[in-house]
Amino acid sequence: MSTRDISRREVLKRGALGGIGLAGLGSLTELMRLAPALAAGMGDMSALIAAAKKEGHLNTIALPRDWANYGEALDTFTKNYGIPISNANPLGTSAEELAAITRLKGQGRAPDVVDVSLTFADKGKTQGLFTPYKVSTWSTIPDSLKDAGGLYTGDYWGAMSFLSINHLVKEAPKDWSDLLSPKLRGMVAIDGDPRSAGDAQGAVVAAALANGGSLNNIEPGIEFFVKLKKAGNFNPSDAYTATIAKGATPVAIKWDYLNLATRDLLAKTSPVTVTIPKSGVYAGPYFQAISKSAPNPNAAKLWLEFLYSDAGQLIWLKGYTHPARYLDMAKRDVIPAAVSKLLPPASAYAKVQFASLAQLTAAAAVLQEQWGPKVSGS
Amino acid sequence: MTSGAQEAGSALPQAPSLPTRQRKFSFAWLGVLPFFAYVATFLLVPSIWLVVGAFQTDSGAFTTVQVHTLFQQQYLDAYKTSIEISLASALIGGVCGLFVAYSAVKEGAPGWIRPLLTTFSGVAANFAGIPLAFAWVATLGTTGVITAFLANHGIDLYQHGFTLYSFTGLTVVYTYFQMPLMILVISPALDGVRTEWREAATNLGAGQLQFWRYVGIPILWPSLLGAFVLLFGSAFAAYATAAALVGTELNLVPLLIGNVVNGNNTSDPQFGDALALGMIVIIGFTVVLNILLQRRSDRWLR
Amino acid sequence: MKRSRLSPWNILWLVLAAVYFLVPLYGSLEFSLETGPGQYGFDAYRTILHDPQFRNSFLLSLRLAIFTVIISTVLMVPTVYWVNLKLPRLRRVMETIALLPFVVPPVVLAVGILRLFASFTWLLSGPQVLVVSYVILALPYTYRSLDAGMRAMDLRTLTEAAQNMGANWVTVLWRIILPNLRFAMLSAAFLTVTLVMGEYTMSSLMLFNTFAVYMNYIGGSQANPAAALAMISLALTWVAMLAILFIGRGSNRRGAHVVGTN
Repeated sequence: MSTRDISRREVLKRGALGGIGLAGLGSLTELMRLAPALAAGMGDMSALIAAAKKEGHLNTIALPRDWANYGEALDTFTKNYGIPISNANPLGTSAEELAAITRLKGQGRAPDVVDVSLTFADKGKTQGLFTPYKVSTWSTIPDSLKDAGGLYTGDYWGAMSFLSINHLVKEAPKDWSDLLSPKLRGMVAIDGDPRSAGDAQGAVVAAALANGGSLNNIEPGIEFFVKLKKAGNFNPSDAYTATIAKGATPVAIKWDYLNLATRDLLAKTSPVTVTIPKSGVYAGPYFQAISKSAPNPNAAKLWLEFLYSDAGQLIWLKGYTHPARYLDMAKRDVIPAAVSKLLPPASAYAKVQFASLAQLTAAAAVLQEQWGPKVSGS
Repeated sequence: MTSGAQEAGSALPQAPSLPTRQRKFSFAWLGVLPFFAYVATFLLVPSIWLVVGAFQTDSGAFTTVQVHTLFQQQYLDAYKTSIEISLASALIGGVCGLFVAYSAVKEGAPGWIRPLLTTFSGVAANFAGIPLAFAWVATLGTTGVITAFLANHGIDLYQHGFTLYSFTGLTVVYTYFQMPLMILVISPALDGVRTEWREAATNLGAGQLQFWRYVGIPILWPSLLGAFVLLFGSAFAAYATAAALVGTELNLVPLLIGNVVNGNNTSDPQFGDALALGMIVIIGFTVVLNILLQRRSDRWLR
Repeated sequence: MKRSRLSPWNILWLVLAAVYFLVPLYGSLEFSLETGPGQYGFDAYRTILHDPQFRNSFLLSLRLAIFTVIISTVLMVPTVYWVNLKLPRLRRVMETIALLPFVVPPVVLAVGILRLFASFTWLLSGPQVLVVSYVILALPYTYRSLDAGMRAMDLRTLTEAAQNMGANWVTVLWRIILPNLRFAMLSAAFLTVTLVMGEYTMSSLMLFNTFAVYMNYIGGSQANPAAALAMISLALTWVAMLAILFIGRGSNRRGAHVVGTN
């Protein structure tokens, strides 16, 4: 676990250095560097592109447009290949994505691809819902962020962060204990139910790390939310973008890329502050997988190829995430300075921790057992 | 045939040469068959399937495991919360609706009030669901209009522990469609309490309260019961409003069922059947109770 | 004889009701018009009206509503006719059936239909499953409207008179009963349309992008446009209600006319 910790820090350091290194270059040079990289990945794809175009459609699920800049990804894909995308249930959870594969099996509107948290990526694998596919850039993706058999591929990660609306919360919370302040009555929310949504699950794990627990013991995280609820600060509503914008959930514990996107959205109307907490810095990757019963399998493969090309990864980076191939791209100096500057400083992520599959599976079981009776039950 | 019947026969228009009574009947039965077949296929059979499914394992064997799980604390709590919110909003909405409806239906009320109230009640009763949740967040949410208004006058609602996303909050929101529903349902019944009776009672020396206690309420009783059951059922089954307002966090039965269906709750689908069975039982119970009570009061009225 | 007037008690209740109903609407309206701190404009409305998803989901719901009305009418008019004319004993049964969608609410019906018809992909593959379910959900309203309408007519005389002139059952229904039932049918139709346009439970559980599902999505992703959407849907409901009221007034006059021709 500690060796992986160090390698994460290495990634961030190099990434930061790579960004700084490009700082002085003009945009034309950057474009020249990008072009071959882009062309290389996609050149020998003509057969796949033709097959995908013949299918003529792509069904995605649970992809909000402002999540990791998916809006731009969806639009760019359709523009590049002329394949329209039906995006069902944008506010859906990872659990709902898997259930939809089963429920809609055999129908034309069944999802082709899913983007789920690790817990559900593994569930999908064990339930035989996915079909393996290794993208052309497979070798440049770190081993810890992909399934050896190709059944799921890590796409991006971010760390748990706090968002607070400035005019409602005078002092932005800097750490977990700040959330218990009486000034935050009815204000603190997470992104749904941790038993079914990766984002919410991340909040509980991060809380555990900050309150005496560890990746092997997340019960202190649940206890933290029990305390938050007893203090009257916990708001059971889902901290959607709009819920935050309305001021209904002025303090939101979500992935940094989500909160940063909201920050941009509300910059003029209702400025917010986004902080990565001092303790309990927890990162969670999401994973792409192709459904075994996908009605448009080639379009699905093309979508993955697009997402894992440099262009696709940059779109995710613009969404404030750390894309899976960040290290590789930084090494090859293909990240434009302007984009690289968008991420928070590497120092904020110095203590970041990633959970292994075994740890998350155990955590999910604990949540299933305890979250209902302790937190959401009245 | 007597001469009388012949006369009667010629006075009436010539009866068409109808087929025999028996054949007419079968035609009618045929005519209603599609409807009953439809209802059977898309209402009765799915419901029965559900009830049976609640007692089955995945492979079809009989089991009471799923129903047993219902009696776990967190699920009992869900039923309890659902029932409590339904009772509370039905009572509040019902009583308030009754007073408002009466004020509009009363003979002395200006003519424009009743149609306005009826239209508005129709709109408000249908406003339930997503838009209603939004409207209330804009009103009593953390930055809602009323919350801000009260804050400007020194009362910080949320600091005092109030929150819209709770039992209290949801009851307030549900009342928004309960009250108009009550108004719509009880207004025709209130029409039945005629002013002449009131005047007769007054002439006999009865006061307002006495009139209501001995005449008005007993007459209204069946309708009041029926309305209350309707209100209770509406709140108990409400899904959209709750989902839009409290997401999946508040422990309510319709939300639990929804979560089993959409996969957020990874219990067996048979557990969803069991939850649904619980709902049918509870609502069915109130309906039956209502029918029995109405029969009793009908007998009393006669 | 003293004419009863509105007592202070009555006035209080009417005022309280007015406040309780209007304040959330005002809250929504204000929020929908906010474009920045202290600034107002129609930006939110423009965003919604330009969103292709708005048009798609609205049209989908409208199509579903129209199909539901058609199937409901075809199914229920003959049935209510026969029950009123020939099978009065079935009236009790009909009233019980009209009560059933209340005992089996939408969330439960959704589970039942999804489970029973899980292997019937042709039913579940498109919005037809919603139409099928909505006919059931609208049953109480359509039955009551049509039943009230038929009871206001003298079915027996109309039928016999038509049959005297050689009409068969189809002609009787189509050319005699239906025109007189126009107002009850329209009333039932409007109630059904408002029901379908606002239906969220079944469409979200079956993963269709209806108007209410779209509204919920906007509600989660964009704050001011969501309030604008709520206002738009409110305005549409209001129009539908006024239409029903208008038709209702018309049918009162019409009903008297029908009775008069006997």
